[in-house]
Amino acid sequence: MSIDRRYDLKRKARKLTDVAEDARALAERLGLEPVPVNYWLVDYDEMNALIAYDGFQTRYPHWRWGMAYDRQRKTDRFGAARAFEIVVNDEPAHAFLQESNSSADQKAVITHVEAHADFFANNRWYGLFAERVDAAAMLETHARRIESYMADPEIGRETVERWIDSVLTLVDTIDQHRAFEEAMPVSGGDEAPDDTPPLSDLAVSDEVKAAVFDDEWVEAYGEEEPSEEPVRDVLAYLRTHGRQYDEETGKAVPMEPWRQDVIDVLRAESYYFAPQKMTKVMNEGWAAFWESIMMGEEAFAGDDEFLLYAEHMALVLGSPGLNPYKLGKELWEHVEAVACRREVAERLLQVEGIDVRNFHDAVDFERVRELLLPEPPLDSITPETVSDLSAVDASKVDRAALDRALSGELDFEGQPWRLLTYAGLAERHFALNKREKRGFLEAVERDDLERYARYQFEADRYDSVEEALADVDYAAGWDRMYEVRESHNDVTFLSEFLTPAFVREGSYFAYEHSYAADGNVVSSTDAEDVKKKLLLLFTNFGKPRIEVEDGNYDNRNELLLVHRYNGIQLDVDQAADTLERVFDLWGRPVNLKTIVKSVDENTKQTARRRGREPEAVEQGKLLRYDGEEFTVEELDWSEVEDIAADDVDYATKPEDWLG
Amino acid sequence: MGLREDVERYRAVGEERRQDLADFIRYGDLGASRADAVRIPVKIVDLPEFVYDYRDRGGVGQGDAEVGDAIEPVPGPDGEPGEPGSEPGEHDYYEMDPEEFARELDDELGLELEPKGKEVAEEIEGDYTDVARTGPRSTLDVEHFFREGLKRKLATDFDREYLREALRIDGWGPARVHRWAREANVPVSRGWLEVEYARIDDRSRWDSLAAFEANVEPEPAATRIRREGLRRIPFRREDERFRHPEVVEVPEYNVVVVNIRDVSGSMREDKRELVERTFTPLDWYLTGKYDHAEFVYIAHDASAWEVEREEFFGISSGGGTKISSAYEVASEILAKRYPWSEWNRYVFAAGDSENSRGDTTEGVIPLMEGIDANLHAYLETRPDGSGGHATHAEEVEEHFSDSGNVVVTRVAEPDDVIDAIYDVLSTEDDEE
Repeated sequence: MSIDRRYDLKRKARKLTDVAEDARALAERLGLEPVPVNYWLVDYDEMNALIAYDGFQTRYPHWRWGMAYDRQRKTDRFGAARAFEIVVNDEPAHAFLQESNSSADQKAVITHVEAHADFFANNRWYGLFAERVDAAAMLETHARRIESYMADPEIGRETVERWIDSVLTLVDTIDQHRAFEEAMPVSGGDEAPDDTPPLSDLAVSDEVKAAVFDDEWVEAYGEEEPSEEPVRDVLAYLRTHGRQYDEETGKAVPMEPWRQDVIDVLRAESYYFAPQKMTKVMNEGWAAFWESIMMGEEAFAGDDEFLLYAEHMALVLGSPGLNPYKLGKELWEHVEAVACRREVAERLLQVEGIDVRNFHDAVDFERVRELLLPEPPLDSITPETVSDLSAVDASKVDRAALDRALSGELDFEGQPWRLLTYAGLAERHFALNKREKRGFLEAVERDDLERYARYQFEADRYDSVEEALADVDYAAGWDRMYEVRESHNDVTFLSEFLTPAFVREGSYFAYEHSYAADGNVVSSTDAEDVKKKLLLLFTNFGKPRIEVEDGNYDNRNELLLVHRYNGIQLDVDQAADTLERVFDLWGRPVNLKTIVKSVDENTKQTARRRGREPEAVEQGKLLRYDGEEFTVEELDWSEVEDIAADDVDYATKPEDWLG
Repeated sequence: MGLREDVERYRAVGEERRQDLADFIRYGDLGASRADAVRIPVKIVDLPEFVYDYRDRGGVGQGDAEVGDAIEPVPGPDGEPGEPGSEPGEHDYYEMDPEEFARELDDELGLELEPKGKEVAEEIEGDYTDVARTGPRSTLDVEHFFREGLKRKLATDFDREYLREALRIDGWGPARVHRWAREANVPVSRGWLEVEYARIDDRSRWDSLAAFEANVEPEPAATRIRREGLRRIPFRREDERFRHPEVVEVPEYNVVVVNIRDVSGSMREDKRELVERTFTPLDWYLTGKYDHAEFVYIAHDASAWEVEREEFFGISSGGGTKISSAYEVASEILAKRYPWSEWNRYVFAAGDSENSRGDTTEGVIPLMEGIDANLHAYLETRPDGSGGHATHAEEVEEHFSDSGNVVVTRVAEPDDVIDAIYDVLSTEDDEE
């Protein structure tokens, strides 16, 4: 790097350090608790390289990173999908900013990053991987391990890469809701030494094993026999019980240790990244929400400016019209508004003369709106009005800062938030006062009111609306949000908060492929259907659930995987390709039980002609790969009943569709 | 960085799995490529996974929509990454620049076309071997400078002790010593001798020259310098020498490719495609072989006009056919913009051999003879193989059968394209 450039970067970095510090101070005042963040300025090429590597500088060697980099550069050729920042879940967290971003962009980005850093630190799903993680170090260690195998003349890069390819096809078949554990748990605690060879490594058949070692002995040995219950962590299962197919002898032999190690590495990484994949909507929405509060607070950029970036991001994300940032942010705003509305409604219900039945008539919503506005000294803080803050309730004002401001020590120009507390800021930003939420309070439903009233002790606590609203906890919305961000993931988030009202207000719809129209068609605007479809897209990483059902299928040591069918079928061609890779990890024939919906060609043609959707027939199938050929067998319904959908059916096609 | 290796590896994987060049030219999707980037679809790139059937899965959108409304498809693979596996047949492309394409095609077809240099030469800077007496400080030839200074020092240096002893020869004195020293080529000055003479004691240490010579050894300069060290070297401005780059003339390899196409009514879609499949790779090939390539596109029916590349393959008009009109336009353009002395020229024409009566012998052939070019080619596309009056190709072929720079080739279907390309490119080759 030339001296000039280095100097230039340092100058930019210095300016941004102040911005970062201010952003951190503001974030904390708003109630966020971010981990420390290290900010880095990088250029366009470095940014693309980091994105290719998921935000890290070192990953194990593999051509897919090259592919990711190539695609990223091509997508971004005209700046259409510019990445403004990338932030990494680590402690301290790392955030990379493109040095070519304008300073306005950088401010927005930094506030966004602070919110992410809070999310990583507080959402419980991140804690599943480890108490504390030094992710960069871990990934680097992994890289070294794999590089060493590649450098080993007896193994070589190609062999390792092919093995990695096979393992990667299954990298999402883990049990992401459980805490991460190494794949070889030694049952019975920590007594058994680590170097006891597993029973499955002994190259003897099961009959012999059964003859030589009785059940008691096996239990005492601490070995886990392939269990009866279906196993969700397919990768761990294969790691422990899988074998390699030896071409020469035509037998299944124990997996070489380096292969097991590679599975361990990739599986650990999958668990590490799983929480991020599971909380994409929440996390991005969270960051977008707080960024717009902070940027609004700073009066630096309007809310719309950010959404412009979000629209850009939508291009990258593929699904037509569906944008996790937008969806997430809107949902959080909904969570906030609903909690605020509840707070206000509950207070109002406690006013003498107001109850559930007469709520909408007895309440003067205009008056309520006026009363909910923040008191003037909080709303607009200028050098002329700042002294008014002394009169405001102490809980809302940072007394010490105010004193310093009044004495001229503290310059709060452009940063009025420095004089307020969490409570004061909450009042300033109270959701129900936002333009978009006008009428939200009135829209509260009878059912909700009844629910609120049910848990109230004092029905007539307040004499007047004024009195009741004076007691309003303006932070109700944010408090609720903080609770939710700790406990939920995307699926539970969507499940709980995606209400009919939300779907209506956001004009969300579900769509399906139509044979008649030979393309995608809107199938439903019903909230339940939209929710179902969204949950389909997010549950289990948006992928079908595959589990291990039997490690000794047909009594021939064949592997039986099952697809937990939920109304949507697998991509059969890809499943077939994937099965071939599973064979690599099992060493013996592998099977997959699934249900497929078939529509024969004639029916399709008729449908197109008549403009009506064809009836699909569900059929059980057994896909099998024995190392050489791939076969498909039809199964009786009785054989697949157990995997067929029993709880939720994700198909949203209405009975009679297109008119 | 590891990423650089990963990118190379990705290219290697892509190269292994990309469509064979010949297949690509014959059947592949040429539309994804540009003039300067050849993009060949790669068969498989991403890894399979257990995923939903994308059609069955459907999705969620936002907007004002009614049940039954059709939705715009997601923008395709060019530039936008879809979700992996979400759309079937999503290709990645192996991208090569024209140079690589030319090399690969050479390999596959066994060609060895060498670009010809023309008179126009570029002046570029060669090695810094020229020397001048002035120049920027940074190009000072320090070695030379130092050596001259050292030579000067040695030339003016003398063994002081030795001469002091000489002054002690009884009866000599500075004048005598001076004379003697000069004769021995010792560069001492009279003045210095006088001063020293005044200073020394014992002016009669030595009785005679013989006694002096017997007892005092002069010290060679090198030993002295080694002992005393060099403190000052007399540098002089006239010793300075500055290095300049040599001016080297390098021939520039320029090429202009004139693409002529019959766009009259008889040139239907299938013929147009064959022309495109043949001309496009030829253009890429020549771009790859030459430093600088320019293209001229001429469409004609009964008259001719120049067009842009984008329109060239798509145009069709009604009307009859007069091929010579195109050659007239070509001749004009070449004479005006691309003088033969400076440009390599390739003139490729394509059509279905239909031409106005007599135009071939009276119009086209004389014009072709008049246009100097590395290569003239006529590509006849006759998928239906109809005979009859379409004889342009035959006539040209016959007339120029002895000429080494005219080639006629025929394509009836995509399979023929590769052979046609080979015909064209190897004709010039043979001429060597």
